[in-house]
Amino acid sequence: MTEMGATHSPGMKFYVVVWIGLLCIAGVEVIMTYQEFSTRVLLAVLLILAFIEAAIGLLYFMHMKYDRPILLWSFVLSIVFVLLMMNQIWPDAYRMASIGHH
Amino acid sequence: MSESVATFPEGLEATREPSPYGVQSKKLTMWLFIASDAVTFGAVLFGYSYLRVGTPDWPRPFPFFPSILNAVVMTAVLLTSSLTMLGAVSSAKNGKKSSSLKWLTATVFLGLIFAVLHLREWFHMFHEGWSLSHNPTGGPVMFGATFFSVTGLHLLHVLVGIVAMTVVAIGFQTNWLDENHVETTGLYWHFVDLVWMFVFPFLYRMNAAPR
Repeated sequence: MTEMGATHSPGMKFYVVVWIGLLCIAGVEVIMTYQEFSTRVLLAVLLILAFIEAAIGLLYFMHMKYDRPILLWSFVLSIVFVLLMMNQIWPDAYRMASIGHH
Repeated sequence: MSESVATFPEGLEATREPSPYGVQSKKLTMWLFIASDAVTFGAVLFGYSYLRVGTPDWPRPFPFFPSILNAVVMTAVLLTSSLTMLGAVSSAKNGKKSSSLKWLTATVFLGLIFAVLHLREWFHMFHEGWSLSHNPTGGPVMFGATFFSVTGLHLLHVLVGIVAMTVVAIGFQTNWLDENHVETTGLYWHFVDLVWMFVFPFLYRMNAAPR
């Protein structure tokens, strides 16, 4: 059976560069951990950096950049939508924190 | 390989359209699984974050040495295993079976190192008195429940991936499986790595002990 869609694949040298970039982002996250941030700010910073890492991994390691765009739009958009909808929990979490529940 | 031909009752035309995604069914199936598993991990991490933010006296028991440093090493090991997995897939796609098997072996080895480091961290915490339902500092017990369940779910995925890669390596060597199976397994392994990119900051760095 022939491959249904020809896809471009960068070489290992490019993947090594991406790998080094991901390690650097992980290093930045560790540095951010020991800055004088509040819980909310630290959570937001780590979340943004984690999403950047995830996007890089998805596009390059999981090859989504080189597959048909419909694959990206079908799966990523739906997952992002679900994860965004889960953000409804934050007001109640802060409410719990403000009244000191355990 | 011959393709099966569907037969339909008279009057009905069989329409066979190419897949809009342009990938093999096994790869599409793996993407569907990854989508569902991503949402599962998302829900679990949101649940943890809800409790974390909503509990003012949430413990932060991880000192830089050995806990955070161990987790940093685990992150580096897992990222490197993704790189070796890329080598395995690239070699397999280019017809270099021997090279692909070496890269797969390296990936399995790195996955085992990650699992050992992870279990070592767990047993260290058990020794200190942490468990699913016990906090040795006297604070909220939900820390143990969330930490061990979230990291345990991820560790389970790592162990399943190690077994899957071993099976695929053996199958690829004996020509029972082909390069597309290596690619599909690679997708799963990259997903496991990608999940760790969220588990590491939320479960470890958000709970790092202040200096």
